Amino acid sequence: MNMVRRELKANARALVIWSVCMFLCVISGMAKFTAYTSATTTGPSINDLLKSMPTSIKALFGFASFDLATMSGYLALLFIYVELVAAIHAALLGTGIIAKEERDKTAEYLMVKPVSRAAILTSKLVAALINVVVINVVTLVSFLVVVPLYSKGSDASGEILMMTLSMFIVQLIFLSLGTVLAAGMKRSRAAGSVATGILFAAYFIARITDMSDKLRFLNVVSPFKYFDLPRIVAGGGLNPGIVVLSLALVVAFGVLTYVFYQKRDLNI
Amino acid sequence: MSVIDIEHLTKNYGKARGIIDVSLAVEQGEIFGFVGPNGAGKSTTIRTLLGLIYPTSGRATIFGKSCATNPEVRRDVGYLPSEVFYYDGMRVIDLLRYSASFYKKDCTKRISELAEIMDLDLKKRIDDLSFGNKKKVGIVQGLIHEPRLIILDEPTSGLDPLMQQRFFDLIASENKKGATVFLSSHILREVQKMCERVALIKEGRIIKVERMSALQENNFKRIKVESRADFDKTIFDMEGVTKVENGGKTATFLFKGDINRVIRRLAQVDVSNLSIDEPDLEEIFMHYYAKDG
Amino acid sequence: MNMYLHELRSLRRTTVIWTCAMIAIALVYLSLYPAIYRDGAHFRDMLAGYPASIRAMLGVTLDSITSVLGFYSMIIAFVVLCGGIQAMNLGMSILSEETRERTADFLLVKPVSRAAIVTAKMLAALTVFLITDVTYYAAAAVMAFAVRQSSYSAGLFFMMNLTLLFVQLIFFAIGAVVSVFFDRLRSVLPVSLGTVFGCYVIGALIAASKDDWARFISPFRYFDYPSIISTARYEMPYLATGAAIVIVSIFACYTGYTRKDIHAVS
Repeated sequence: MNMVRRELKANARALVIWSVCMFLCVISGMAKFTAYTSATTTGPSINDLLKSMPTSIKALFGFASFDLATMSGYLALLFIYVELVAAIHAALLGTGIIAKEERDKTAEYLMVKPVSRAAILTSKLVAALINVVVINVVTLVSFLVVVPLYSKGSDASGEILMMTLSMFIVQLIFLSLGTVLAAGMKRSRAAGSVATGILFAAYFIARITDMSDKLRFLNVVSPFKYFDLPRIVAGGGLNPGIVVLSLALVVAFGVLTYVFYQKRDLNI
Repeated sequence: MSVIDIEHLTKNYGKARGIIDVSLAVEQGEIFGFVGPNGAGKSTTIRTLLGLIYPTSGRATIFGKSCATNPEVRRDVGYLPSEVFYYDGMRVIDLLRYSASFYKKDCTKRISELAEIMDLDLKKRIDDLSFGNKKKVGIVQGLIHEPRLIILDEPTSGLDPLMQQRFFDLIASENKKGATVFLSSHILREVQKMCERVALIKEGRIIKVERMSALQENNFKRIKVESRADFDKTIFDMEGVTKVENGGKTATFLFKGDINRVIRRLAQVDVSNLSIDEPDLEEIFMHYYAKDG
Repeated sequence: MNMYLHELRSLRRTTVIWTCAMIAIALVYLSLYPAIYRDGAHFRDMLAGYPASIRAMLGVTLDSITSVLGFYSMIIAFVVLCGGIQAMNLGMSILSEETRERTADFLLVKPVSRAAIVTAKMLAALTVFLITDVTYYAAAAVMAFAVRQSSYSAGLFFMMNLTLLFVQLIFFAIGAVVSVFFDRLRSVLPVSLGTVFGCYVIGALIAASKDDWARFISPFRYFDYPSIISTARYEMPYLATGAAIVIVSIFACYTGYTRKDIHAVS
């Protein structure tokens, strides 16, 4: 308990800064909604056109698979960026919280206390989880508060809830990826760079598969594409199968983290 | 011109005390000691002297120039810090060569000489060295350019006794060649052995700057007397005697003054054993080190 | 010179990784280009059956995004994001290396002025950017030429790629200044990634329209590729702002680094 509290305190300032940033992201993104809606004229013919547009052209236009004129469609576009920021936060948090003892040379202090490594790890993971939940809740609340100001009647709160839930799972994936890398790599300080590299690659792949239907198989590699955003936006909810598989991935990473951390030679 | 000249040097860290009105001078060829309790300001003084931190007021010069404004003065200075860290992924020889490249002279011979004296494996990676071996790298690195002034901060911490001996022999031979040495250390035995003059700093201020010989002359002798009969409780109560421990057949005390008075008092007693000791620097300084010294 | 070479040597590996990453990005996108061009042609045929107003709205955009340079705008934006991360990381780590790794007692006691140290490091960083960018440019130019479906202006292509160097210099300068004045940062990544991705997201979301004042906030939006393609120039206000940021930051670095206290191992 004391360790959880210590970790939370140490991360408090960063958490506040990231939360504020998320909120600003949401607000500023929504502020542009009106700009987008006025730019694209809606009408049945346009929608048909959009539907028959080749995937790559749609991606190039920036529409991907969403109908930008509706609130839900725009939200999905905004969401891509919000999710990116949240994923970075999670990855850095995951790697940082594990690597910090060796990085800050406090390993010789903490690791000789009468607590098992597993207990230390659990406290860190709990603290990290709390941080991730906070970011997620801040995002959710920001959306729920700001969107009605612009939505002109249509209620997107169901879709918003589903989207932030999917974001939560993506955060968990990157968080656990970060922890397993930091626990497993010999030079734990390099884990942050590796995790961001993977994240960046995942984001890049997500953008590439937008371009070409032929590359859709690559979606397996990119957590950003695990959840079918168009479906969520259309009110289809989350695919339970994917949810289970993703959570299994998170659990797998988590277990590996414990295994690696126990066996780890701590180098200062 | 003194090699080191520190005049009224003051450094404040915001509200925290750094050093206050520190003044001292080190002459050419001296081995000068610098001692004081933890947090007294030794590192602050040295770092200001080297130009790593900037004084609030006062000046500190080496060979007449300030290191901060004239960095080339450091060409003749060798610094051995108390904690040594180096860049990742370098071997010892790489670091020494990189170090040598800052001085406009060819140090290759010196590198191998020093490495041999200090028993240092040049091919090893620094990351893989123990603390003591890293210290050796620090020592060699500080001396390869044959500096005219050597500043040592806790130089032997981490070295085994053999290496400590070799290190001090090394310093002594550099000094014989004309180098001036500024030694900051907690190991008073070393300071006593090597230094001719010593400065004591406490709570940011210089308490004393004296010749080692004077320090010992002006000081107390520790006298231990044993007798076959119990001592009179008050027999040693006289002027110049302090810290009397009078327990039955053995008494010890410190005495400063005319030794004849003690001899006369002792003549009144049936003495079975007597020892008179010169206090070492440790005892002299513990007196100062203590909070209310 | 010795410090310059030392810095370059220690940056060798990361420079190679970044260059390869950037080339890979361009390679993947450009390899898709021929298929996309065909999709575009197909779509243009479909457009023929739609009213003139819609054709006008979408047609012009369609032509530009399926042209080599138009398509490349998207690629270069991604590569510039990569370069921005590389630059900000480098900026934040190179001047604070000694303080973070506690090697300050080694380097700053050498008979070199602090200004000389800063100069050596800055030149090393500039060299890294030039190596990365020139290598990338060569690879991208070859690939773009290979997949082209129509001719394009090499000059404009060069101008677009030059923006990579500009953005890198801007992020490097910002990173360097932050590292000089914020001594206690143990870990470079959160701040550098946060700033760069923050600018990226701001650039994508806020500064959507061309004449937005918000464009000044994100260096990624200082260079508008459609405008470069159509006017063959950079927009002066943004170029000037970028240059100002770089110059002021570098000056601040010199002043800050020279004047600051280097404390013992903390």
